[in-house]
Amino acid sequence: MADDLTLDHDDPAAFVAGSVPGRPAGAAASYESGDSPRWTPHAIADVQAKAQLGRYQVRGFSTFQRNLPTLDDLVFVPATMTRLPLEGYREDCDTRTVLGDRPGLVENPIELDTPVYIASMSFGALSATAKAALGHGASRVGSMTCTGEGGMLEDEREASDVLVYQMTPSRYMLDLDHLRRADAIEIAVGQGAKPGTGGLLLGMKVSQRVADMRTLPVEVDQRSTVRHPDFLGADDLRVKIEELREAVDYRVPIFAKMGATRPRYDVAIAAKAGVDVIVLDGMEGGTNAAPELLLDHTGIPTIAAIRAAREALEDCGMADEVKLVVAGGIRGGVDAAKALALGADAVMIGTAALIAMGCNSPCFVEDYEAMGTAPGRCHHCHTGLCPVGIQTQDPELEARLDVDAAAERVARFLTATTMEISLLAKACGKSSVHNLEPEDLRALTLEAAAFTGVDLAGIDRPFDW
Amino acid sequence: MAGHDPGDGGDVTAPAHSPAAGTGAGAGTEEIVEVGHRPIREVNADIRKAVARGSRVRVQDTLSRHNLGVALPEGADLVFEGSVGYYCGGLNNGATIRVERNAGWGLGEAMASGVITVDGYAGMAAGASMLGGLLHVRGDAGPRTGVAQKGGDIVVEGSVGFLSGFMAHAGRIIVLADAADAAGDSLWGGEMWVAGNIGSPGVDSRIVEPDAEEVASVEDLLSSLGVGDVSRRWKKIVSGQKLWHFESRDAQAWLMI
Repeated sequence: MADDLTLDHDDPAAFVAGSVPGRPAGAAASYESGDSPRWTPHAIADVQAKAQLGRYQVRGFSTFQRNLPTLDDLVFVPATMTRLPLEGYREDCDTRTVLGDRPGLVENPIELDTPVYIASMSFGALSATAKAALGHGASRVGSMTCTGEGGMLEDEREASDVLVYQMTPSRYMLDLDHLRRADAIEIAVGQGAKPGTGGLLLGMKVSQRVADMRTLPVEVDQRSTVRHPDFLGADDLRVKIEELREAVDYRVPIFAKMGATRPRYDVAIAAKAGVDVIVLDGMEGGTNAAPELLLDHTGIPTIAAIRAAREALEDCGMADEVKLVVAGGIRGGVDAAKALALGADAVMIGTAALIAMGCNSPCFVEDYEAMGTAPGRCHHCHTGLCPVGIQTQDPELEARLDVDAAAERVARFLTATTMEISLLAKACGKSSVHNLEPEDLRALTLEAAAFTGVDLAGIDRPFDW
Repeated sequence: MAGHDPGDGGDVTAPAHSPAAGTGAGAGTEEIVEVGHRPIREVNADIRKAVARGSRVRVQDTLSRHNLGVALPEGADLVFEGSVGYYCGGLNNGATIRVERNAGWGLGEAMASGVITVDGYAGMAAGASMLGGLLHVRGDAGPRTGVAQKGGDIVVEGSVGFLSGFMAHAGRIIVLADAADAAGDSLWGGEMWVAGNIGSPGVDSRIVEPDAEEVASVEDLLSSLGVGDVSRRWKKIVSGQKLWHFESRDAQAWLMI
């Protein structure tokens, strides 16, 4: 309760003239609406929820952290007098992307028509229909997909021309046959949404088929291990990589995926351990389920991770041998082009691909409402009740997703994204999207300049530490 | 924890005279592959070629090198005459492998089928995430034996180290001596059988009395492996199942978020 400011007309200091009845001068609106910057309605609700649940809250989607620096704090500075632009609608800009082409170690590097591909998302988190649609969509435009944690789903293998097989610490269904059917192997060390913890798939999504693939009881909450069972540090990882190369006869590249935490050191260690491709996932990366505190308060933003990772590769003399893939909150071609300019060789999209398929689309609105949400702001991936059949294992919900239509939307979105990257590259005078560089960017904020080393806009100088 | 002397198995057996690799050997014959300081890629390629010819392979001068005999197919029959390093027999797909001395970390990791026998001791994470087959260690095995196991049997005639059976999903880990602390921690499924002492049971594990049929199955397996005096007072560790629904036991709670 605020101080009593009821007007005292006899008080010479009172704001009498023109005052609003019942609302004396000095009565802040915040007292009525309760908009404390610290005890926001969300903060109050969080305490109330935990007071009832007796544990942290879990949800899906991605971080709700509002204080993150983003790639929006950077702009491109296209060619003007110092360089020539390419004709945006006429001249070619090469988008071909090669990953894992380390000489002498990999027989079949990955060759894509675009620098953008679909992130690792498990069958289990996603429906089989969604996995198949992602595979078909990526294949239509020369891109690729990644299995994620739940093993290799036949629907996805058949749909995907190029498929990365992820080896997570839990090793669900990991066997020689699947390794040999993969076009690349990704050793998952962590993910941006929840670095330092293992996967989480709540019982509502552990259907019979998912359970069979993961050798789990049906409907248990599957919390995966965070550490790999048979290696600990980088020295062990080096031996593990050799084992995998032996298993697939040096045919395919080896990736390592990690959440962005200490990229300067983590990337250097992974490169030295012998991986061909490093996938760095910023804290904006999505997930089907995670403790909310991890989503919002662990890891570092994508914008802050890329330059450090690129410099790490250069510092250890491995920039020509090891490729860098960046992920985490990439929403389209603009973000992707900025990531490439900052030092990525390719970009992964997860949430954006799901949205392209139909996530948060305004269909089956009553089902969103039943969960207390609405199209455009749904983040209820963890419940398995996805109204559009993407993040579910319910056969009736899954049937709502038309594989062919969803695949086509993914294909068109990837095409549009590639087109956006190439348009920006051409404006900057680049005949290949891989020629984008930090000099093509300027920072709009001191923060973005400090995180990336990119010159501040206009003054064309870096942030001076 | 009582150590277990694997006995004569620790000695290196003198190799039989046999044709060298690549000299026209074939089905029913025995070939020798030397390891020494050669590149592992070359060694494994020689092993695979000998296996493809149908030969039994004796691998000599192993020097505890890593990644020996990885990803071998059904029908392969190998003997490592010395000790091996990490991941020997990893991703085994049906091969029969014998290590006459000791094995390093990750012995038979992700094995789908086949038999791996170690006459000596095994290091950390023997049988990690194995899907099937049989892994038999005559001596002791290190920590995290059978971690993330998904199937098959692991038999350790000696003791196993800390956190063995951690987050195993299926299969059996059978220990004839002792199990160190945190035995069977966070099991989803699977079973850990211990004849000796258990340092401490792991989180969410439960020690139960096995029934007669289960005991007979375990003891039959041990008999088939030539283990004498298989009759023990077994303790079986299974999942306590308290962590099965740690986060979603109240489905209505999810609609609050």
